[in-house]
Amino acid sequence: MKKTVALVALVALAAILPPAAAFADGGSILVKNGTVLTVTKGVIPRGDVLVVGGVIKAVGENVAAPPGVRVVDAAGRYVLPGIIDSHTHIALAGTNEGADAITPEADVGSVINADDTAILTALSGGVTMVHTMHGSANPIGGANVVIKTKWGRPSEELVVTEALPTLKFALGENVKQSNRALQPGQAQRYPATRMGANAIIRREFERARNYMAQWDRYRKAAAAKNPAANLVPPRKDLRLEVLAEMLRGERVARCHSYQATESLEFMELAKEFGFKIQCFEHMWEGYKIADELRAAGIGISVFADFWAYKMEAAEGIAEMAGYCHNKGILVSINSDSGERIRRLFNDAAKTMKYGGLSEDEALRLVTINPAIQLGVDRIVGSLEVGKQGDIAVFSEHPMSAYTRCDMTIIEGDVYFDRDALVKEREESAAKAAAPGGEGGVS
Amino acid sequence: MKLSARVSPALSLLIVAAAALVGFASALAAVQPSAADVGPTYAVRGCRIVPATGPPVEKGAIVIRDGLIEALGPAGKVKIPGDAEIVEADGLVAYPGLVSALSNLFLEPPAPAGGQAPGLAAGFPGQARQAAPADDRFPPGPGLLVLDQLKPKKASVESFHRAGFTTVLVAPTQGIFEGQSVLLNLNGEDIAPMVLRNGAALHINFTTERGGYPSSLMGTIAHIRQSFIDADYYAARQAQYARSPAGLKRPAYDPRLEALAPFVRDRRPVVFQCNNQEDIKRALKIVAEFKLNAMLAGATEAWRVAEALKKSPVPLLVGLDFRPPATSKYATQGEELRKRAEAELYPANAAALARAGLDFALVSGANADGAAVLRAVRAAVKAGLSKEAALRALTVTPARFLGLDRALGSLEPGKTANVVLVKGEIFDDGAQVAAVFADGVLFKYAEVSK
Repeated sequence: MKKTVALVALVALAAILPPAAAFADGGSILVKNGTVLTVTKGVIPRGDVLVVGGVIKAVGENVAAPPGVRVVDAAGRYVLPGIIDSHTHIALAGTNEGADAITPEADVGSVINADDTAILTALSGGVTMVHTMHGSANPIGGANVVIKTKWGRPSEELVVTEALPTLKFALGENVKQSNRALQPGQAQRYPATRMGANAIIRREFERARNYMAQWDRYRKAAAAKNPAANLVPPRKDLRLEVLAEMLRGERVARCHSYQATESLEFMELAKEFGFKIQCFEHMWEGYKIADELRAAGIGISVFADFWAYKMEAAEGIAEMAGYCHNKGILVSINSDSGERIRRLFNDAAKTMKYGGLSEDEALRLVTINPAIQLGVDRIVGSLEVGKQGDIAVFSEHPMSAYTRCDMTIIEGDVYFDRDALVKEREESAAKAAAPGGEGGVS
Repeated sequence: MKLSARVSPALSLLIVAAAALVGFASALAAVQPSAADVGPTYAVRGCRIVPATGPPVEKGAIVIRDGLIEALGPAGKVKIPGDAEIVEADGLVAYPGLVSALSNLFLEPPAPAGGQAPGLAAGFPGQARQAAPADDRFPPGPGLLVLDQLKPKKASVESFHRAGFTTVLVAPTQGIFEGQSVLLNLNGEDIAPMVLRNGAALHINFTTERGGYPSSLMGTIAHIRQSFIDADYYAARQAQYARSPAGLKRPAYDPRLEALAPFVRDRRPVVFQCNNQEDIKRALKIVAEFKLNAMLAGATEAWRVAEALKKSPVPLLVGLDFRPPATSKYATQGEELRKRAEAELYPANAAALARAGLDFALVSGANADGAAVLRAVRAAVKAGLSKEAALRALTVTPARFLGLDRALGSLEPGKTANVVLVKGEIFDDGAQVAAVFADGVLFKYAEVSK
């Protein structure tokens, strides 16, 4: 550890920073004496992590706390980077714009609900960041958003603007079956087959190409020395604007997909139109096309187990995540749920039994790997000087079946403290139970 | 109930009138009084006057003629005209008629159009529609004038009069682009004489179009944005064609975009219904994107986003429904917390906004029961809102928001004779509205012993 350098930097900073920085600027905290699992820089058996102004300033041994900085003693406990969920749907007012098959104009970021208690649930499992997504009802769904689980903070402060812009795609049964419950006389929504899903996606990208060409022609004509008087700009179309971002490489695809064949077909579409697939979601048959996925640089975001809940998931195998990881594919374990999100570490640990991953490798599946998938590994995903101070403190090794999350810290501020929360709730309950007593409203 | 000459014997608010004037009033009884033809001149005498814009007058007099306040001031200094009916108002307090800048009074919306929603799998299979198609579940959408749906009811007028209201903005309630509201002065039973301004504002609700696109909040937001983009584009194309049609394909007429265009191009007022704190921020984003002249209605969680509202000040039409919205963390963590929040937190919304220095009016909203509305205002006062701030939020402020502050909202000579006479202070429990002047038409409601 480059302890001395870090300490010098920290002394200088401590002089200019107020002892307790405000929320918006990030907090300061020293987590001491824990087993520090840095994920990318090994394990420090008895180490400290210092966060100043929201940013990690030191990771090492015998780090001193600057004046006024809260010190958390993590002796006997494990200190790791905040867990990241690469695929979920929490903290949203609505998941699908299912009335249409093609809805890139629907922006998940416009319907964040900072009051969703699933945020608190996520914190209780050490989760500090989530990719919260449009559902899988449409071949082309909406734009997704990455947020931090800053419970109690306003929605605009949750959004991680550094993350890679993504767009949800979906293939297979969900797409085929959306809007199947029909009003009398109403036609079933197209597409009703896998080939239809592929065709409608291709057609939308063709439209987006035409749209971009229209604008290019218009801009060229408008920039001419004497533009024609009857020059008419194209209509701005929010739907096609988002697809144009895909074609310009400014946004990447996150595609809900179970089966090998349709995934390969989608990869052909990406090649044809030149857009990037960042990740396949769920991807139960990923093991069948592991070489193709690795060659194309496509990651997968999957469940650890829990397959065969529908026909297209029937060929899932427990070894999927571990096998693909060993094949060199960037794998993350996701929750897809506001409940499973609190035990992603348990799910990651299953890859040790099924797939033979080491503790360190398994932990990567819910920390640095999802960070890479979301394009935020520069700022989170491991405990390194310069990254944001997103930290989880666990009672046992996070890959142990007996562990639990005791504390979750985001940018140096404590958002979840199990002991404090339990105490607060017990006091509130006691107050309410007392004759004429009143629990607090906060 | 209207008064003029149809004086019920049961009413004992003392009206002293010259015998000749009684005859004149009897003659008027045959015709409906209207804003343009308001009958007798009144002199209200002996009341405490709370003008809302200046200091109170302890023993005052108000002269009302031709539907306007002709004079007011200390009783000794106001000359009572010889032709005036005298309304003895000792022990009463005169307030400006209250203004609810958002209500659904008299609204009997037609049943939603039957049959299937437009658009699903329209055309040949696989025909993907354009983004945010230009149709609404409740046509004509932004072009709807709610005035055409209103059926005035005497009981509704009385219910609102008894709560002190003389003026209401009536807004439509269906769809995303709900249509345009009408501003009414509650001066009788006929709708036309009540109208202060038709097409007062365009009302937008973050709801979904059940059975059609959009079916989700995020779709609705995209639909609203695309609609404003399209309306702006439409108006630009029409203007371009009007300037030089030669060599230009004629842009097609579109009634929906035609109705919407003035709101995005000419800054006509738009009201967003905001049912929770996130809706407020969603609306502010759209307002900023299209530079709309907007007000935010509902806003019962505005206290939670006071910082954002300070950064982008916008008139707030604050509702008086204290139930935590379904998405709120106060509604999703057990019944005990929900009840407590309803009793303690949400009634304090207005007080918090006043402390933050934000500009807000209080509105009756969907509540058609005047007494319940007044009770809710009193609850807001008990939760910390000063009576003066409450009065401003129901008089001068909404009048200013609606661009009518030169005519309404306070007791001043030359302004519309919207006057409420109350036994007691209007925001105290048990205070009773004794009589109301709306456009100078007198309505009597309570026995008042001197």
